Amino acid sequence: MNPGLRAAASGMAAQQLRVDTIANNLANVNTTAFKKSRVCFEDVLYQTLEGTRIVNYKGSETVGPMQVGRGVRTAAILRDESQGTTEQTNRPLDLAVNGEGYFQVERPDGTVAYTRDGTFTISDTGSIVTTGGYTLVPGVTIPPEATQISVSATGIVSATVATSSTPVQLGQIQLARFVNPSGLESLGENLYAQTAASGQPMTGQAQVDGFGSVLQGALEDSNTDVVTEMVDMISAQRAYEVNSKAIQASDEMIQEANGLLR
Amino acid sequence: MTIPPGIIKTARTLSYYSQLEDVTANNLANVSTDAFKADRVTALLTTPGGSPVPVQQIDLSQGTFRETGRVLDVALDGPGFLVVGTAAGERLTRGGALHLSGNGTLVDMNGDPVLGAKGPITISGGTVELQGDGTVAVDNVAVDRLRLVASPGAAQLSKEGGGRFVSSTPAAVADPSVLRVRQGAIEESNLDPIHGMVDLVTIQRAYSANISALRALDGVLGTVANDLAKP
Repeated sequence: MNPGLRAAASGMAAQQLRVDTIANNLANVNTTAFKKSRVCFEDVLYQTLEGTRIVNYKGSETVGPMQVGRGVRTAAILRDESQGTTEQTNRPLDLAVNGEGYFQVERPDGTVAYTRDGTFTISDTGSIVTTGGYTLVPGVTIPPEATQISVSATGIVSATVATSSTPVQLGQIQLARFVNPSGLESLGENLYAQTAASGQPMTGQAQVDGFGSVLQGALEDSNTDVVTEMVDMISAQRAYEVNSKAIQASDEMIQEANGLLR
Repeated sequence: MTIPPGIIKTARTLSYYSQLEDVTANNLANVSTDAFKADRVTALLTTPGGSPVPVQQIDLSQGTFRETGRVLDVALDGPGFLVVGTAAGERLTRGGALHLSGNGTLVDMNGDPVLGAKGPITISGGTVELQGDGTVAVDNVAVDRLRLVASPGAAQLSKEGGGRFVSSTPAAVADPSVLRVRQGAIEESNLDPIHGMVDLVTIQRAYSANISALRALDGVLGTVANDLAKP
């Protein structure tokens, strides 16, 4: 079959995937700590056609081999780990990391997942959990009579317990970071899991060894930029169109060649 | 019966335009491929008025840069390439969306190591900085330097897919004053879609005109064969 047709078809499929990714980015424009993704494409195998040796009237000249590409394929979908803007919420257990670092939470199977979504609540047993019910690691337990919970920039959680007038330190939040955070696997629910590509987690305290600081009463917004996504969408749509035109042109050429036989 | 030379010549021209269409379609399919270099095809005439033979050249002009903010995205500013060590030997690439493999080696999109001055680069640490001259600094300590080579010229390069090029001559070390590394950016495809679209129209019209010519020549043959023979 005509390689031009196939190349153009792969181009349309690629642009479709790009639109799908943009749609997901836009759908999550209000998701706390959402990280947008982009698709990376690469060209595919080239067919090398033999070069012809041509002797022309000026002497001899060899023509180099001709390479016909076979279209495009998806190389990777990369997540952009840049920080979203922080939004003030004034809820005491809304935490944002300003700088590098992920909160660590425990999943039901005992493995640790990582998140930058700091919308925490207190479970019925008094431990700090995410909205999905996953416990913060290392755990911090808030006594039922505690009032005025405060979280310092270094992640120290303290509260005033009814009987005492001075705040009591309840625990310290530890953060994790990765050498290649875009290699983390997205688990949904704003959680990420460590993979071979992300590297081993390095844990530590906020504001130490390159970790960011913890902001209380704030949440990190999605890093999706609507205008950029819209521009990308227009570009993807036009690229889709131009590939459909290439299919049309190839088709019409084949049709004309077929029409030669009377 | 011998086929008239006009028909053979027109048929060769049709095949030329059909190849041109394949190359143009591939260019357009890669309009969003990072660091893609478009193929240009020109015709070489064997004799004055003879049928065209396609001559291909890779357009090595630089695409525009897009800021991505991703730490392991690198764009090359200036003519030259990164070197990737593959099972088949060293390959050149400008595709700069790099990753880390499971053991911390810096790899390209296809998982093959991007070579530094000392071979594959292993990164373990918190922050990675890729400096303008290709120095790889992990936690502010230089660990290696990306191997940057000068472009051996379009005529020496052939494409392998996956954004890789094979050079027929050993590539020389790049001059750091003309080739800079930019971290957090990606080079876009250098194909101008308008150019590609115009190519499509031109190819299709030329193909159509040659089909008409072939039909006319065939008409003449038909007249000769059917009408002249009648008593």
